[in-house]
Amino acid sequence: MSRPRLESQTVIAARNGRTSGEVGGVAAARDPIVTTVATPTLRALLRRFSFWVVAAISIVAVASVAVFLSGANNAAGRALAGDNAAPAGSMALVEVLRQQGVAVTLADSLAEVRDAIGSDSTVLLYDENGYLDGDQLTELTALAARTVVVAPDFLTLQAVAATVGFGGVSKMESLTAGCSVPAAIRAEELLPGGDTLSLPNRDGHPLITGCFASGADTYSLVQVSNDTTGGIVTLVPDARVFNNENVAGYGNAALALGLLGPSDSLVWYLPTLADLPRTGPPSLAELTPGWVSPALVLLVFAAAAAAFWRGRRFGPLVAENLPVTVKASETMEGRARLYARSNARLRALDALRVGAVQRLARTVGLGRLAHLEDVIGSVALITGRAPDEVRRVLVDAFPRSDAQLMAFSEDLQALEQATSQAVRAGAVPASATHEFVSPPAERMDP
Amino acid sequence: MTLSGRFVLLVALGVVPIVLFGPDLTAAAGVLALWLLFVLLLGGIDLALAASPRAVTVERMLPTRVRLGESVTSELFLTNTGHRRLVAVVRDAWQPSAGAGLGRSRVVIPRGERRLVSLTLTPFRRGERRVEHVTVRTRGPLGLWNRQATLNAPGRIRVLPPFHARKHLPSRIARLKELDGRTSVMVRGQGTEFDSLREYVRGDDVRSIDWRATAKRNDVTVRTWRPERDRRVVIVLDTGRTSAARVNNEPRLDTAFEAALLLAALTSVAGDRVDFLAFDRRVRGRVQGATGAALLAQLVDSMAMIDPELIEMDWAAVPGQVRSVTSQHALIVLLTSIDAAGASTGLLSVLPQLTKRHTVVVASVLDPATVEAAATRGGRDEIYRAAAAERALLDVARVSAAIRQLGADVVTASPALLPPGLADRYIALKAAGRL
Repeated sequence: MSRPRLESQTVIAARNGRTSGEVGGVAAARDPIVTTVATPTLRALLRRFSFWVVAAISIVAVASVAVFLSGANNAAGRALAGDNAAPAGSMALVEVLRQQGVAVTLADSLAEVRDAIGSDSTVLLYDENGYLDGDQLTELTALAARTVVVAPDFLTLQAVAATVGFGGVSKMESLTAGCSVPAAIRAEELLPGGDTLSLPNRDGHPLITGCFASGADTYSLVQVSNDTTGGIVTLVPDARVFNNENVAGYGNAALALGLLGPSDSLVWYLPTLADLPRTGPPSLAELTPGWVSPALVLLVFAAAAAAFWRGRRFGPLVAENLPVTVKASETMEGRARLYARSNARLRALDALRVGAVQRLARTVGLGRLAHLEDVIGSVALITGRAPDEVRRVLVDAFPRSDAQLMAFSEDLQALEQATSQAVRAGAVPASATHEFVSPPAERMDP
Repeated sequence: MTLSGRFVLLVALGVVPIVLFGPDLTAAAGVLALWLLFVLLLGGIDLALAASPRAVTVERMLPTRVRLGESVTSELFLTNTGHRRLVAVVRDAWQPSAGAGLGRSRVVIPRGERRLVSLTLTPFRRGERRVEHVTVRTRGPLGLWNRQATLNAPGRIRVLPPFHARKHLPSRIARLKELDGRTSVMVRGQGTEFDSLREYVRGDDVRSIDWRATAKRNDVTVRTWRPERDRRVVIVLDTGRTSAARVNNEPRLDTAFEAALLLAALTSVAGDRVDFLAFDRRVRGRVQGATGAALLAQLVDSMAMIDPELIEMDWAAVPGQVRSVTSQHALIVLLTSIDAAGASTGLLSVLPQLTKRHTVVVASVLDPATVEAAATRGGRDEIYRAAAAERALLDVARVSAAIRQLGADVVTASPALLPPGLADRYIALKAAGRL
């Protein structure tokens, strides 16, 4: 990849108030000011990231081609849909019908069927999920001159032909027409192994015809003529007859074309959720006015713009090395916590005592290296306390609890205070008259 | 490219036409699309009419130095070389501790003209503060969309140590002059050397009459004395890891700077020669052979760039460094920290080499928090704290005693008192003639 282009440069001669009065030659001798721009131009950005842009575009292209190719081979899709080229669809049949001059209308709801239907129309109904109720079915069969019901369910049979029942799966090796329906006669034989319908008491209904018999009263095609409306309803229990995979085999194609192609118009009706009756209170979407959703979308855009407005940096971040911040007293604090956690009372008290002894030695005028016994003696003498008592406070007492530790610490302070008061009052210190205050902040050498 | 708050407001205002003209969904969606188109169009026009921020040239004028805590003015001359009137907000991208605040200013520059943008800097950290960029954001006539570009305009300013301790200087100079012949104290003694002979005037000490010269001149003549001059003082600064610790929220190193500066100022007044050396494992700063006003300037200049290093001080190399500065007898001031005995082994091991030839003073900051903790005995925790503090003070006392035993002098004091304490010790040594 090529490196980005050099940053653009702007060069001008110095335009300076101080040089304005100078003659041109002198002013021109000054160095021109050069200001380089750190922000890359749009073109430089595109050039720098061209590889990634091209890579992203090609990945999207390859992915979409792959999805398209794999989608074509996929068996999924709506069964018997007129625009589905998959094995389960029925696009082949619909296209052949269209070539033969039949105007095929694909309908998803009963309302569309009503719009599309003519006086001499054929309707194919395949209600896979049982969306239609009895009234709708009755209305449909009354509307159409010929209705082909594929794979009818119990409710459909009740509404269309109450006397027809289910006959189970056909066990025949081959199915032959054996009836007077013209389409069945032309088909001669049908795909075997499908569902059948039974006609238990056919005698009472002379308008019912059964074709492709599998047994005594089971048929793979039943045609019912309605004597009041004059409509013909054909029941085909096996949906496979019409799909792309099987329509070319046996006499399936002939049967399908014969059933669906007698008139110029065919409505290919697969019911959807739109056919279900509306129940319950109206939804929120129906109650709100139409402008609410667009207004929300607009506010989303406004929020995005606000995010960009506030989020855009005013130039690059500036880095700075920060100093370490370590408190010098941290080791002291750490040691105090160690003492406290391990209850090192004697060790803590000893530290306090050593400090106190050194201060006392200075107070009573002994040197820093004075012997402990000398300090005890001098302090006892000056304060008038018993040497044993002073020795107990400074050396002997053993702290067995925190309360004792605190008490001994107070004793130490009291002893120091008493000593310094006594010295101040003139009780003959050994030499100097240093007065004891809290340890001085300034420690010059003692 | 950037947006403005005005543009966001304009987008949000689209709610009004959507509600007014869109009773049903499709009409409202149409109005929405139209409004977005309209807004984008306005923004695009505004962007196209904005002046180019790339056509700005930047000239920077900066003072080179500033003392910490003082303010300086940074001047930025912006020239609009483009063809349009430039309305912009300019950000001068100083490092945060340069104390420039947000560093934003509004400018309006007609085409071909130049404007000054000045900014007050109040740095709050020592060292070198830098600026690399100037960002210019120009707006169009409607103020909806802006153009933005970052221009390279490097600059740097050196922030010097504050030298607060200079308030102690007059009193110490006065004490120094008491030693000097310029005052009435004219006694011979340690730390003085023969200056000259002059006529006796009333008030002179009769003991300083030089009878031999009086006999020769046939006039009463006295000898005058003056303090020793032209002694050498070498200040060695420990910039190792212990110098980073903070006492009263000031690194030990900065306190050492203050002490070194006060001592150097005093020493140059007293007529002695000062050499400065900042060292941990290698030389971080060195000032040699400077006198007078140049001395302090060079000192603060080299100190400004020194930061504590997180490495251990190499004491074994210090005698060699001192030898490279001077081979004569000198006063060596070691500005370091006296901690526990273990941590001071290095210092203690090289002190004999130094004290054999030179007079040595070890100066260290004492934490007032420790001293305060040692005297605070409230509850259980405070007693343990007092014990730990007492232990720390004992450690310092023990190491100080060891240093004294090796023939060196020790000055320990809280940060505020260390510089005058060190200066007093110098005066005392000078008076005693131990330089």
